Amino acid sequence: MLIVSFQLVQPSTPEEAIRLLSRSAAGDIAVLGGGTDLLSDIEQARITPKQVLSLRNLPWRYFRWEGNSLVVGSTLPLRALELDPHVQRRLPGLWEAIRDVGSPALRSRATLGGNLGRCSPASDLIPILLALDARARIVGPSGVREHPIDIVLQESRRTSLGPAELIESVILPSSAPSAYLWQRVQPVNDISQVGVAAAFVPEGPHWRIALGGLQPRARRLSEAEAMLRSARPTHLEMELAAQEAARRAEFVSDKRATESYRRRLVTVLVRRAIQTTLDRMPKAAHPRKAAS
Amino acid sequence: MSDGPLTLTINGKPQQFERVPDAERLLDTLRWRAGLKGTKEGCRTGGCGACTVLVNGEPTLSCLVLSHEVSGENVTTIEGVAAEKVGRIVIRAFAEAGAVQCGYCTPGFVVALAGQLQGDGTPPSVASLLDGLEGNLCRCTGYRAIQKAVVAAREALK
Ligand SMILES: Cc1cc2nc3c(=O)[nH]c(=O)nc-3n(C[C@H](O)[C@H](O)[C@H](O)COP(=O)(O)OP(=O)(O)OC[C@H]3O[C@@H](n4cnc5c(N)ncnc54)[C@H](O)[C@@H]3O)c2cc1C
Ligand code: FES
Ligand code: FES
Repeated sequence: MLIVSFQLVQPSTPEEAIRLLSRSAAGDIAVLGGGTDLLSDIEQARITPKQVLSLRNLPWRYFRWEGNSLVVGSTLPLRALELDPHVQRRLPGLWEAIRDVGSPALRSRATLGGNLGRCSPASDLIPILLALDARARIVGPSGVREHPIDIVLQESRRTSLGPAELIESVILPSSAPSAYLWQRVQPVNDISQVGVAAAFVPEGPHWRIALGGLQPRARRLSEAEAMLRSARPTHLEMELAAQEAARRAEFVSDKRATESYRRRLVTVLVRRAIQTTLDRMPKAAHPRKAAS
Repeated sequence: MSDGPLTLTINGKPQQFERVPDAERLLDTLRWRAGLKGTKEGCRTGGCGACTVLVNGEPTLSCLVLSHEVSGENVTTIEGVAAEKVGRIVIRAFAEAGAVQCGYCTPGFVVALAGQLQGDGTPPSVASLLDGLEGNLCRCTGYRAIQKAVVAAREALK
């Protein structure tokens, strides 16, 4: 039953974790968040670390509101965000995306830090985090730095983190009307063929469209965003944005869907994601309602 | 490469195990060291729910948890659930609804459902209970009988 072996280390302070990481040769030590991705990578011998460093005892299992910003500790189980009514109300797109990750029992372990660390092209969280301008706070031997996640993420299983750096938290700067839609063969425990996030953020340009299911990873599509010129895009603008997204995105054909099917899905889902976001705008600020 | 003693509170009883490898999964500790074979191994990759146990009351996939990571914590398996009132009601509801065929998935379903029904007050809505069973797969029943069992268990507890 046991084909792998490693030593488990469970530091209780970030300083100790960073020291342990600094002392090890790359490849000898692996970082464990919830373990829902990492343990499979180890069992399949994709990686063969001598040590596994668990982040579970670090003081990062928290989330808090700072004004309009939501700060999420990287080791907080996703389930805690899902069960919070304020998260559902203030960041509906994020809440929706979280509920698409695996099953409730998986989400009682899986973390945001791990989802970014894994950087799967099919991640259901990365598109909405990109659309909401999420930033990652990173700690390491040379202190703390903070960057948009777009700079931190690279490709599947690769980030720009240094060998002794860790994501401490993720910051969502504003509560924005948002939506996340996806398509899968099976609704649960399957990988999304495409994922579409839309958000209307306070800082201009207001509209954000991000797609998942792309190689090498999810990205924002500024060409599609540029088609949406007001808080109340016309049906034509929405359609053009959807077509632009489908045209610009780098889809692949694999066992889950062909490239052309993915393009077709995106034209539909982008339009719906924008419409859903519009429907979620606060009534007073909703230009269409205000005008009538 | 590395192993040490492990203490777990399993079904309310503290238990100590000698020389448990650091890489060992909770699923294996429960089945092979504690001898609690009710917890099933389906996929071993988090995709089927057969291995569901409660860790500090939370439904958790024991195939994706390292035993030493939950050292000192409270683990409840199907054997512990079956010994309590809520568990007995859930099991009876499954039996009476015909929600058990080969039975391999049943412990996972029962633990995941009982975990949600624990505690005082009105039980969660049927929709929310079914939501909580999203990750549990069944190859035999077609789920309809399981849905009936969920409704019946909830009624019995109201
Ligand atoms: C059955 C199943 C279904 C799934 N379904 C989905 C799905 O629908 N959508 C989806 O997006 N994902 C899905 N996943 C993938 C996975 O559960 C998520 O990516 C999860 O968020 C990973 O978090 P974790 O804490 O378990 O990561 P871990 O496995 O602990 O870590 C993943 C990677 O990130 C690194 N890491 C972890 N924490 C940090 C940190 N704080 N700083 C730096 N690096 C870190 C690790 O070293 C590792 O390389 C599924 C997985 C399974 C097993
Ligand atoms: S054996 Fe754990 S989820 Fe399938
Ligand atoms: S009864 Fe056989 S798998 Fe569910």
